[in-house]
Amino acid sequence: MARSDDWLLRVDDLSVHFESSKGVAHAVDHVSFDIYPHETLALVGETGCGKSVTARSILRLVPEPPGSYASGSISLRNGDGSVTEILTATERTVRSIRGDRISMIFQDPGKALNPGLTIGRQLAEVFGEHRMSMILGNAGFDPEKPSRTATKIVQQRAGLLERGVYRLTHLRAPKALQKSIDDSVMQALADTGIPNPRKILGSYPHELSGGMKQRVMIAQALACDPDLLIADEPTTALDVTIQARILDLIHEMQQRRGMAILYITHDLSLVRQFADRVAVMYAGRLAEIGPSAGVLASPQHPYTQGLLAAIPRPATPRGQLAAIPGTVPQLIDPPPQCHFASRCSFAASACHQVTPQLLTIADKHDVSCHRFDTASRIDVSPQDMPSAATLGGVASS
Amino acid sequence: MTLLSGSLAADFGGTTDAVVALHGVKVHYPVKEGVLQRVTGQVRAVDGVDLSGPRGQTLGLVGESGCGKTTLGRVIAGLVAPTGGDIWVDVDATQHSEIERLRGVATEDRSPEDQASWKSLESNHRLGSMSRDKQSRYRRNCQVVFQDAFSSLNPRQLVRDIVGRPLRVHKEASGEDLDRRVIELLERVGLDSQHLLRFPHQFSGGQRQRISIARALALNPEFVILDEPTSALDVSVQAQILNLLVDLQKDLGLTYLFITHDLGVVQHMSDRIAVMYLGQIAEYGPTADVFNSPLHPYSRILRDSNPTLEDSLDTVKWDLSGTVPNPVNPPQGCRLHPRCPVARAECGWSIDDVLTDAERNTPVVFETISRVERKSDFRATVSFSEPEQAKKFAKRIGSLAAHEALEQPIRLDDKLVEVSFNEVSEAQLQQLKDGRWSSCTRTQNLGALPEL
Repeated sequence: MARSDDWLLRVDDLSVHFESSKGVAHAVDHVSFDIYPHETLALVGETGCGKSVTARSILRLVPEPPGSYASGSISLRNGDGSVTEILTATERTVRSIRGDRISMIFQDPGKALNPGLTIGRQLAEVFGEHRMSMILGNAGFDPEKPSRTATKIVQQRAGLLERGVYRLTHLRAPKALQKSIDDSVMQALADTGIPNPRKILGSYPHELSGGMKQRVMIAQALACDPDLLIADEPTTALDVTIQARILDLIHEMQQRRGMAILYITHDLSLVRQFADRVAVMYAGRLAEIGPSAGVLASPQHPYTQGLLAAIPRPATPRGQLAAIPGTVPQLIDPPPQCHFASRCSFAASACHQVTPQLLTIADKHDVSCHRFDTASRIDVSPQDMPSAATLGGVASS
Repeated sequence: MTLLSGSLAADFGGTTDAVVALHGVKVHYPVKEGVLQRVTGQVRAVDGVDLSGPRGQTLGLVGESGCGKTTLGRVIAGLVAPTGGDIWVDVDATQHSEIERLRGVATEDRSPEDQASWKSLESNHRLGSMSRDKQSRYRRNCQVVFQDAFSSLNPRQLVRDIVGRPLRVHKEASGEDLDRRVIELLERVGLDSQHLLRFPHQFSGGQRQRISIARALALNPEFVILDEPTSALDVSVQAQILNLLVDLQKDLGLTYLFITHDLGVVQHMSDRIAVMYLGQIAEYGPTADVFNSPLHPYSRILRDSNPTLEDSLDTVKWDLSGTVPNPVNPPQGCRLHPRCPVARAECGWSIDDVLTDAERNTPVVFETISRVERKSDFRATVSFSEPEQAKKFAKRIGSLAAHEALEQPIRLDDKLVEVSFNEVSEAQLQQLKDGRWSSCTRTQNLGALPEL
């Protein structure tokens, strides 16, 4: 598979396994892709295909145990050209990346915001963690030699101190310091189009509507100008009219700030409008990846074809939707085969014996299917296929 | 433009009878406050809905969360009693015109024949005043498939018990006969006898929804209410379930009420659709017409917001501003007007709308407002700190509001602006063309959707 070298984030041969009483679930199975600066990559798939686990792995948020990173690496390129290996970095390094260089917005804003903190306090956390010198500087302190007390006060205001600790330093915050925090928070809120941000500074999440909560989440995620924004189904819990506004907002913020977006969704119709490239996942593996216009216009993997045909369109006669027969296979200790073979109408014997690899079939368009060549669907015998060993030991996983 | 007469409850969609017809159905829930739990208001979940379910067809009901579509479905199923209005069951066109005629006559003015006719209609067809026997027959005849197949199937019952329960309750079958009937039903929905002795948790989401459908079909109903039957499913499985539903409708001649927020699905499934907003029907008509040339701004906005794989018909996308108003105190006039992109003052402006407009469009003017003295929702004196801004404010209202909308001309007195609007009656659903209904007052006047 052809990959150019100007990537921002590289996911290479990532496998994430989960221990369960029934065996080891291969939630993400040898997945590789790159994200380039300023682009939007959509990661599409149905429930349980591993798209969210992939996204969480990028921030190293998969709980270990039961999860474990069984293989692969995730690399983030820094501004000076050096590379940070996220999966092997220290916890301290990963913490400094989360929310600053890579941030995430979650599906349900009602659950992702802390119900016990006011909006002002929740957003202050990001600034306290990553932008301490800016806050101190704006308040008139010398960011080079910050006063210990001032730092402690900001940390306390941002909810970053343990309770016992901040009791000891429970001093009145100088007005300038509180104002500096509030100004930064209000600026972040105003950027997302929230009218009158001062009004919601003291509100709790339950007092806001769903669309407003999602705006607060976006403000929080974009507060530190990240290089990569991971949006995990950001509009699934919202109504269509609000969905359109939130997606427009994310798009507009991308135009303005030039960050890359990893957009996770199950809805292919959103991909067309919002993504430059699309990666389709099925049962833990990448089925197809390529420019979204190309993939939607001429999908090469039978699963992508099926997924597109299953969406009701005005032209489809009623009751004749092309449903994909069967259900998603179990991910526990999968045998070496194409996971889609049991539901695929083009499956040949090779599909049941050998794991397909991503092959470049057009410009930047990769497909993992033994039989992608729809024009000439000749039976491929297992002898003609590369053996499992030459495929990098995929079969042994 | 002349409007056709009649009510939407009489629109039988080309057939001669309806499995159910609704007349001004209301469901209000009391809001209680304080230690004494005094009723301080009413949540108008469904607020005066006329509708009919034409036999053998699919009626789609779309709207956003909180618009009352699920409540309306529950009322029709008889699971929630309406707090106002009538639900008529199994009426044909002649009976319906009789109902329409009698509703127009006040009870005390009715002749003895009319009274007898009304009484017989009520006792035979009106849900709530029918005999127990008839009521029970309607309940058998009208079944519901719920959204969440995880919580609508009892996790401690076997499939045999879940699907067989309606048959047992209505004493249709027992013992071996029951098993045979259940297997028949399972085969109908694409499952088989090997699934008989399993628990719901052993099935996938799609299979669970199949079990729900099998249960709904157990008593051979004519009318099935599908409340978001596929919104918890993935697209590939959704396609399987939608195909199954269409096959069942063809084979068994079912009438569907399809409740959903997914426009792609409703467009695929329905013959006619009703678009709901804040407890009322905004637009009603044949599906293709409503999608291709909407007659209500809200339907247009819904269509434009819905992401599709095709290119949209119109290049200009309409957008909704603000959030859904509180259904305890819905806006007067047209309920959409505070959020509508084409709203005019005559759509039912009140003082709040003027202030919202100022806040949104002329923030500088809004900042200088020092005091708002309200005499009512429609009359107020707004004081400014600078006379210059007061002048701008008055000028803007003058340009927005037509004279008919104002009770008195705007009075400007140095730093004070006095505004008073006419109170507007509630927007009514009207038939604009054959089979096309809209409640937008501007569309009713123009005969077409106003330009943005």
